[in-house]
Amino acid sequence: MRKLAAVIAILLILPGPAGAAVGCDLNDPDRDVARLFPESTGYKTDYISIKSRGGEPLLRRVEQRLGDKFQGLYETSDVPYTVYSIIKGKELIGYIHGVNQKGVYGGIQVFLALESDGRIRLLYFQKLTSRHAKDLRAAEFEQQFKGLDLKDFSSYDVVAGRAPEGSRLATIKNPAPAAEKDFRAALRGVKKNLILMDEFFFRKAK
Amino acid sequence: MKIYLIAYKNLLRKKTRTVLTVLGIALSSWVLASLLGFNKGYEGALNHDIDNMGFQVLLTAKGCPYEAATLMLKGGTGLRYLKESMVQGVAEDHDVAAVTPMLMQAIFDPNKGESGGMSGYLGVDPATFPQSKGFLEFKKGGWFKDPDAREAVMGYEAAELEQRDTGDKLLIPEKNVEITVVGILKRTGTQDDGTIFLPFRTVQEVFGRKGLLTGMGITVRKDADIDKFTERLYDLPDVQVVSMAQVKSTIMSLLSSAKVMVFSIALIAIIIAMVGVINTILMSVFERFQELGILKSMGAMPSDVFKLVWAETMFLCLAGSSLGVLLALGLARTTELLVRRLLPYAPNGGLVQIDWRLAVGTVAAVTGAGLISGLYPAWRAARVRPLDSIRNEAE
Repeated sequence: MRKLAAVIAILLILPGPAGAAVGCDLNDPDRDVARLFPESTGYKTDYISIKSRGGEPLLRRVEQRLGDKFQGLYETSDVPYTVYSIIKGKELIGYIHGVNQKGVYGGIQVFLALESDGRIRLLYFQKLTSRHAKDLRAAEFEQQFKGLDLKDFSSYDVVAGRAPEGSRLATIKNPAPAAEKDFRAALRGVKKNLILMDEFFFRKAK
Repeated sequence: MKIYLIAYKNLLRKKTRTVLTVLGIALSSWVLASLLGFNKGYEGALNHDIDNMGFQVLLTAKGCPYEAATLMLKGGTGLRYLKESMVQGVAEDHDVAAVTPMLMQAIFDPNKGESGGMSGYLGVDPATFPQSKGFLEFKKGGWFKDPDAREAVMGYEAAELEQRDTGDKLLIPEKNVEITVVGILKRTGTQDDGTIFLPFRTVQEVFGRKGLLTGMGITVRKDADIDKFTERLYDLPDVQVVSMAQVKSTIMSLLSSAKVMVFSIALIAIIIAMVGVINTILMSVFERFQELGILKSMGAMPSDVFKLVWAETMFLCLAGSSLGVLLALGLARTTELLVRRLLPYAPNGGLVQIDWRLAVGTVAAVTGAGLISGLYPAWRAARVRPLDSIRNEAE
C-alpha cells in the first residue's frame, strides 16, 4: 500500500517534460475545431516560428507592420506558433491560430478562426486573466470582430491604442473601460495574429 | 588478407540477399542498442529528478497522494492538511538537517479555456525552501524575503505562459488578490518550471488555511538511516511518508518487469536475425558447392574454406550491427519521444543514453552471436569433398 501511495505521489510530484519556448495551442483541438468550424471534416497542424521562416529580417518586418517592438522575455523569434489548417473534404476552408499576448495580470491567449481568405470568422480568448475577463470574453464583444481582416487593423496604432476615425475598428468599443490596458493588449494580440498569418500563409499565396 | 577480400567479393555476388541480411541484423542491433541505452538513460534521469527534489523525504497528510489528485480536480476542497505545529517536532529529530513547510492550493479560474481550468500555487517558506533547492537559479529577480509578502516567484514555464516579468502583477482568480512577481527562475527541467511559488503564510491567509500545511520536505543528515527515520515518522498521527529512495526503488522495480519483457523481445529479434544469418550463409555454401570443391582440389585446406565462410559471416554481422548502432544513435531522440508517450511516468533528461562503450558493446555482442551462428555453415563448407562436388556436377 505504501509503495502504491509512493508511486501515485511521485507521478504527481515529479516533473513533466521540459520544453522549448511556449507556443499557443488549443486546449482541446478536436473539440475546439468542431466548435469553431462546425462544417469541418478534419484539420492539419503546423508549427511555425519566425526563426524558421525568415529569422531576424522577418522579425523586424513583423515589428514594423505591428508598429511596436516584440517585448519581454517571451515574445521572441523562436516561439512556435501553432496553425490549424481546417479542411472540409479535400477543401481548405480556414485556419485557427493563437498568439500569447501580455495582459495586466497574465498571458492572454488570442485565438482567431480565419476564413481561407484571411477574414476573421471568430475571435476567441482561450485564456484571459483580468478583473473584467467576463466582459472581454463575452460573445457580444468577440462577435464584433467577425468579417474584419488585416486591412482593417493596418492603421490601428497598438501603442496609443487608436484606430482612425470612421474605420471599422473605431466602432469596436471597450466593454470594460476599467480594463483599458487589457482591451488594448487584446487588440494588439489580434493585429499580431493577423500579421503573422499573413507572413506565414496569405502573403505567400498572393 | 586475400581470404577476407574473396569473402567480401562473395557477398557482393548476391547483393540483394546481402543487403536484406544486413538490414535484418541492423534492426536487431538497433533494438538492442536502444534498449540498453534506455536502461542506462532512464535510471540516470530518474536519479537526477529525485536529486532535484531538494529533499529526501516528503511528509504529507495521510491519503494525501490521493488528495493531490483531488487538488487538481476540485481545487483543494477535498485536501487533507498537516498542522503547522508539527514542523518543530520533526525538525528536532536527530536525523533531520532541515525541514521546509509547504502549502499547495488550487483554485478554479473560469477564464481558462472554454469551461474554466485550475490555477495552482505552492506556498513555501522563504527561510528554508531556497536552501533545500540550492540548485535553483534565477533568470531575473530573487526569492521573496518576507513570509507574509504578497509576492511570487515563478518557474520559467509558468512565467512564459503568463507572460510575466519581474514587477508584473498576478491576480489570484476568485480571491481577487494581486501578487507582485519578484523573481523568475531559470529552466530546471523539473516540476519547478511550471510552479508559482508564494510565501506559505500568504497562501495560508489568502486561502483561509491558517496553521495548516499540505506537506513538508525533509532534508536528512548525510549519515542518517533513512529507513529507520521514515519508520519513526510513521509514529506521527495521520501522516503519509514518501521517501525518495523508496519511490526510486518502486519505480525501478516496476520498470524492471517491463524491461525483462522488452529484453526478451530484443533477444527474440536477435535470434531471428541470427537464423537469417545461418540461412543466408548456408544457402551461399550450397550454391557454391562445386566452387568450394574446386578450391579444395586446388590445395585449399578445410581451415581455409572455414575461414572464408566465417569471414563472410563476420562482414555481414559487422556491417549490420554498425548500421544498427548508427540508427540507434541517429534516432535516439525519436525513440525517446515514443518511450515518453508509452510510459505513464518518464523523468526529464535524456531517456536513451548511448555512449561509445554501449555502441562498441552492441557491435561486439551482435557480431559475436553472428560468428557463433556462422560456425555450422562454415563447418559444412569445410567438409565439402572435391569428389562429391564433381559428382554432383556430373549428375
